[in-house]
Amino acid sequence: MPIRLLIRNMFSHPIRTLLTGLSVTIAVFLLCVLDAAIGGLDAAVSQASRTRLWVQSAVSLFVNLPDSYESKIKNVPGVEEVVRFQWFGGVYQDPSNFFAQFAVDARKWKESYPELEMIEGSLEEWEKARTNCIIGTDLASRFGWKVGDKVPLTGTIFPKSDGSAWDFTVVGIYESKSTSIDQLTMYFHYDYLYESLDTGAAGGPGGVGVFLTRLAEGADAATTIGAIEELYQNGPQRVRATTEGEFQRQFISMLGSVPTLLYSIGGGVLFAIFFAVLNTMLMAARERTRDIGILKSLGFTNGKITLLLVAEALTLCLVGGGIGVVLAILAERPLWSFFSAFIPGFTIQSNVIVQGVLLAAGLGIVAGLMPAIRARRLNPVTALRSEA
Amino acid sequence: MATGIDIQSVTKTYSRGGETLRVLDELELGMAGGTFYALMGPSGSGKTTLLNLIGGLDHADTGSIVVGDTRIENLDGSDLAQWRAENVGFIFQGFNLLPVLSARENVELPLLLAPLSGKQRREQAERALELVGLTDRMTHKPKELSGGQEQRVAIARAIASDPAVILADEPTGDLDRDTADSILELMQRLNKELQKTILMVTHDPQAATYADQTIHLDKGKLGHIEDNRTAATGS
Ligand SMILES: Nc1ncnc2c1ncn2[C@@H]1O[C@H](COP(=O)(O)OP(=O)(O)OP(=O)(O)O)[C@@H](O)[C@H]1O
Ligand SMILES: [Mg+2]
Repeated sequence: MPIRLLIRNMFSHPIRTLLTGLSVTIAVFLLCVLDAAIGGLDAAVSQASRTRLWVQSAVSLFVNLPDSYESKIKNVPGVEEVVRFQWFGGVYQDPSNFFAQFAVDARKWKESYPELEMIEGSLEEWEKARTNCIIGTDLASRFGWKVGDKVPLTGTIFPKSDGSAWDFTVVGIYESKSTSIDQLTMYFHYDYLYESLDTGAAGGPGGVGVFLTRLAEGADAATTIGAIEELYQNGPQRVRATTEGEFQRQFISMLGSVPTLLYSIGGGVLFAIFFAVLNTMLMAARERTRDIGILKSLGFTNGKITLLLVAEALTLCLVGGGIGVVLAILAERPLWSFFSAFIPGFTIQSNVIVQGVLLAAGLGIVAGLMPAIRARRLNPVTALRSEA
Repeated sequence: MATGIDIQSVTKTYSRGGETLRVLDELELGMAGGTFYALMGPSGSGKTTLLNLIGGLDHADTGSIVVGDTRIENLDGSDLAQWRAENVGFIFQGFNLLPVLSARENVELPLLLAPLSGKQRREQAERALELVGLTDRMTHKPKELSGGQEQRVAIARAIASDPAVILADEPTGDLDRDTADSILELMQRLNKELQKTILMVTHDPQAATYADQTIHLDKGKLGHIEDNRTAATGS
């Protein structure tokens, strides 16, 4: 029967109840997704390789370094291997199909990435032709690409002189065993790019965007970074060397300050929703001043009235929050495929689900207790005087 | 079983904008158990205030109120609420039903505070509604009822937990003559058949004739008490 009163009260303003519940749903959903994004970014940085350094121009990631730097960096004590990495920036059919492509030294590249495993095709196959490429398993499933497929990409940084597309043949698919490395990237031969520029078949900046530098065993990262940066301290172009973790962080913030923006807006929205819900529930309770007076005149104690108000707010918030959690779990997969390009480790953790439920419960208790405290002080005589 | 009410030198003041208003001024009043009293007096003379004090909805500044053998100024908080649930039924001019509940659910409300099973509650509520003649309106919401029917539901709610005292504040104030008369007859029956002690505030002299006695309140003090039974038979 008190349950019936509770339910009847909730349904006496169905639209308001629905909107309030929906707000809690959105807040909890947002919390789960934000946490997954933050957790994924943290994992990308914390699980990043400690043996790989990224050497780039001190000016920006978009300014290339001369090819000649490769051999000088390789001679720095503590450096085992140097791999050229060039961002290609090609477009597949439509710019909205964005994914990363890098031109690399195939064999050296493979040795530097023990976390990656070829699940189809092989390195040998890749080396057979310069237009061959390998792709991550997520990229393969995104576009339905299989080994043997031809992929044409339009150059944006490196346009073909005759306006045609660059042709690539998928010969291998890799899988990543680390949450800091995505499965959404295409790697192809640096020679293919380099020779096209040399012959004038394509235009674009020369040089190399990044020298991926592998540390020798036992070498100290900080010392090696210092030594590499020291090389070109006085020009012609200063370089910046970073650990992979640091590079990931930098790369993340380079992709527009999307994540930072996401956090601050998301956090703000969460906060705003919290107060909007609280306000609505306080208003709803205020409308029931007379009802509370009636209950008091019938002999309901403050404790019972408190219980009723808290139970009502708690029910609404828990139902709303529960739906938010379920939606977040359902949305994990589609959201992941959207975020995984820059947050490979995007997962909704079970502890954030608990947090979401606790947030909803906390909101419900506060939203129920605040009017209950007011009801406690309310003189039934005054309450009964207030018009319905 | 009939419960008397004893008002001993009760004072109640309200302060408004710096000045204090003495609403009840050392009021002395004794009411016998099982009697139907009408309470009359000019607007602002403290009738509602007195009712609220007797029902424990508000506290007197000084003095003592004894209902049956309970000195209610000794009760506080949940004890007072519980005492009210067991001993007092309120009936208001504005009916004061919960709009979201049906007639029967409204009547069941005070029974939630008693140790009853759901089935017992339901039966007891139905008996109360039967007594006020509303068996065919039990599932209606207040807004689907007429004013007289709403007041019957409120009366059923007031008597559902079988309290000894019924306090009614202008129960017929919003009703037309015929409806008012039937409500007053019902109140009379509660008094005669169930031995309820009833204190009913009214502005209507004709309504007061349904009561055994009429108490006249004036400026927070007792005016005089009129015996309607002798007055009626004596004329
Ligand atoms: N909570 C309050 N605060 C201040 N003044 C109050 C309060 N309650 C009642 N009063 C004042 O006390 C006086 C007596 O009020 P009460 O409601 O008891 O009168 P009443 O006899 O019931 O009048 P009516 O016939 O108009 O209902 C009035 O002047 C009223 O304004
Ligand atoms: Mg009054």
